[in-house]
Amino acid sequence: MSVLEIKGLHVSVEGKEILKGVDLVLKTGEVHAVMGPNGTGKSTLSAAVMGHPSYTVTQGEILLDGENVLEMEVDERARAGLFLAVQYPSEIAGITNAEFMRAAINARRDDEDKMPVMQFIRKLDEKLALLDMPEEMAERYLNEGFSGGEKKRNEILQLMMIEPTFAILDEIDSGLDIDALQVVAKGVNAMRGEGFGAMIITHYQRLLNYIVPDVVHIMMGGKIALTGGPELAQRLEKEGYKGISEELGLQIEAAEG
Amino acid sequence: MKLNKQTTVLDDLTAFSKHKNEPDWMLQLRMQALSKIEALPLPNIERVQFDRWPLLEAEQAFQAMSADDLEGVSFQIDEKSEQAAVIQFGQHTVIEKLPESYRQQGVIFTDIFTALKDYPDLVKEAYMQLAVQPDEDCLTAFHAAFMNSGVFLYVPKDVHLTEPLEAHFFQNSRIKEPFVKHVLIYADTNSSFSYVEKFETLFHEPNTANCIIEVVAKPGAEVKFSAVDQLGENTTAYFNRRGHLMHHAHVDWALGVMNNGNVIADFDADLVEEGAHSEIKAIAISMGRQIQAIDTRVTNIGRHSIGHILQHGVVREQATLTFNGIGHILKGASGADAQQESRVLMLSDKARGDVNPILLIDEHDVTAGHAASAGRVDPEEMYYLMSRGISKEEAERLVIRGFLGSVIKAVPLKGVREELIETIERKLIE
Repeated sequence: MSVLEIKGLHVSVEGKEILKGVDLVLKTGEVHAVMGPNGTGKSTLSAAVMGHPSYTVTQGEILLDGENVLEMEVDERARAGLFLAVQYPSEIAGITNAEFMRAAINARRDDEDKMPVMQFIRKLDEKLALLDMPEEMAERYLNEGFSGGEKKRNEILQLMMIEPTFAILDEIDSGLDIDALQVVAKGVNAMRGEGFGAMIITHYQRLLNYIVPDVVHIMMGGKIALTGGPELAQRLEKEGYKGISEELGLQIEAAEG
Repeated sequence: MKLNKQTTVLDDLTAFSKHKNEPDWMLQLRMQALSKIEALPLPNIERVQFDRWPLLEAEQAFQAMSADDLEGVSFQIDEKSEQAAVIQFGQHTVIEKLPESYRQQGVIFTDIFTALKDYPDLVKEAYMQLAVQPDEDCLTAFHAAFMNSGVFLYVPKDVHLTEPLEAHFFQNSRIKEPFVKHVLIYADTNSSFSYVEKFETLFHEPNTANCIIEVVAKPGAEVKFSAVDQLGENTTAYFNRRGHLMHHAHVDWALGVMNNGNVIADFDADLVEEGAHSEIKAIAISMGRQIQAIDTRVTNIGRHSIGHILQHGVVREQATLTFNGIGHILKGASGADAQQESRVLMLSDKARGDVNPILLIDEHDVTAGHAASAGRVDPEEMYYLMSRGISKEEAERLVIRGFLGSVIKAVPLKGVREELIETIERKLIE
């Protein structure tokens, strides 16, 4: 079993503190949902875990099986087992999707142990079919000219090809119609198991009808305000963030990020 | 410009010409050019300072060839392949191969001195007459005077060749010797063929290279021209590739500028008659402390002529890369089209990239346009690639390959596309 521990995490962007002490423990075999109103720091949390250069950790720790993640470069974090599906992936002309994924897979392997081309293609075809993506998507340039929905599916495709230990899915549901949402959920559910843990960041409860979380966290004001089971998401759907924040005596801050 | 020469240069030149049995007009052309070198200026290449570069080193241009030159070097071609090939090392022609079927159709692909002996009239018609003139500037004059090796390719009227003809030029830098290479390609009316050339340097003696490559395309001729330039880091080079395109002639250029030393290059297409069409595609990589400056020009003279330029380059470390794109539409060229796209990607803070699109238009009723950019790698792109476990170096390689790949994918010959990709990979691992 692997553990991702986030302890007392404070993160600033351009000198402004967004996260003010986040504590969260994610284990393999678990799916956690992190919910919360806009601007409460959900995306900041995911970017800080992955090591985006614009986010500065001012306090706290992130540990992966006891190893200090904050000392690792972005690519080292990924090779250690972390994966982030982002809201707005970069478009990179001239590099095909397939070429990119192969480079990513082989980056985790020794020179003598690169994935054979045929094995790669078989795996790719299988995952493309599962995600209802046409084969030609693999030969298109990385995210170039992809629709919003195609980009999201492509993030899940990468997830399934790379098979990380922990995945953070940052608002993977935003802008998806119901069919695409089901496909994305199918992909994530296919990954669920003993050796995999996920943190699903979402604004709405809708995605959680398809990917049922084991734990739900509600983030407000740069902290985890409340943690519970899947029923917490249901309650949120009825009462809204406002109801919960009033109960907790919290002010919802209108911050960006 | 001052010529760095021995006092006996005129004698040496005459002796060399006699030794090669050159026709008298060739000797005259050499002597006239020699007399003009010092009065002529350097070519004008915008925004690049190269007046201190050692480009006029005449010392040893005509030293006798020696069998010792070839010691320790060997060149091979696939005996079974039906490809036409010429391989030259320094001034030596090491291999010449022309399939019998090509020979029967009248194709000539041979050493320039052999051509001057065996086909003097054909060479005279085109050699520094139509495309490049000897007295344009001191570098063309230097070339005309000191040309010491080269190739002549002639494809007769209505002859269509399916397999590319290939020339491989190795500069011999074991010794001090200017590399003054002339390639003359004469595509007769309605002929069509592909030609590939490669330039490389063997050994490390600092030397000058002055390479002029002329393509004369008669009416209706179609030429696919490809080049991979990889001269060595101790070679200071001047390249001039120029097409002279007549009625409805079509020349496609795919140029890989991958040298390791300082280079100025002029890639030009003169669209002299109606309907002439040239596509110039170039990719370049500058690394270390080298400077490469590339002037790419299309001149529309004929009506409805089309000239397109697409060039992408990458600069690493403390190197410099300049792309000047020039679209010049002359008066009378109505219906002409001149388009260009030049982009440079800089990979370090000290890398210098410069892109200058220049459109000169002297006619109404034409279309012209340009796109240009010089920028650094997007840190978001790097972050995204690295967030999948790809190392910084590998991510950079992917970005570079992608950036140059958009030009490479437009190159018509598959073999050339692969060659360019391989060259990039090799260069980036260095």
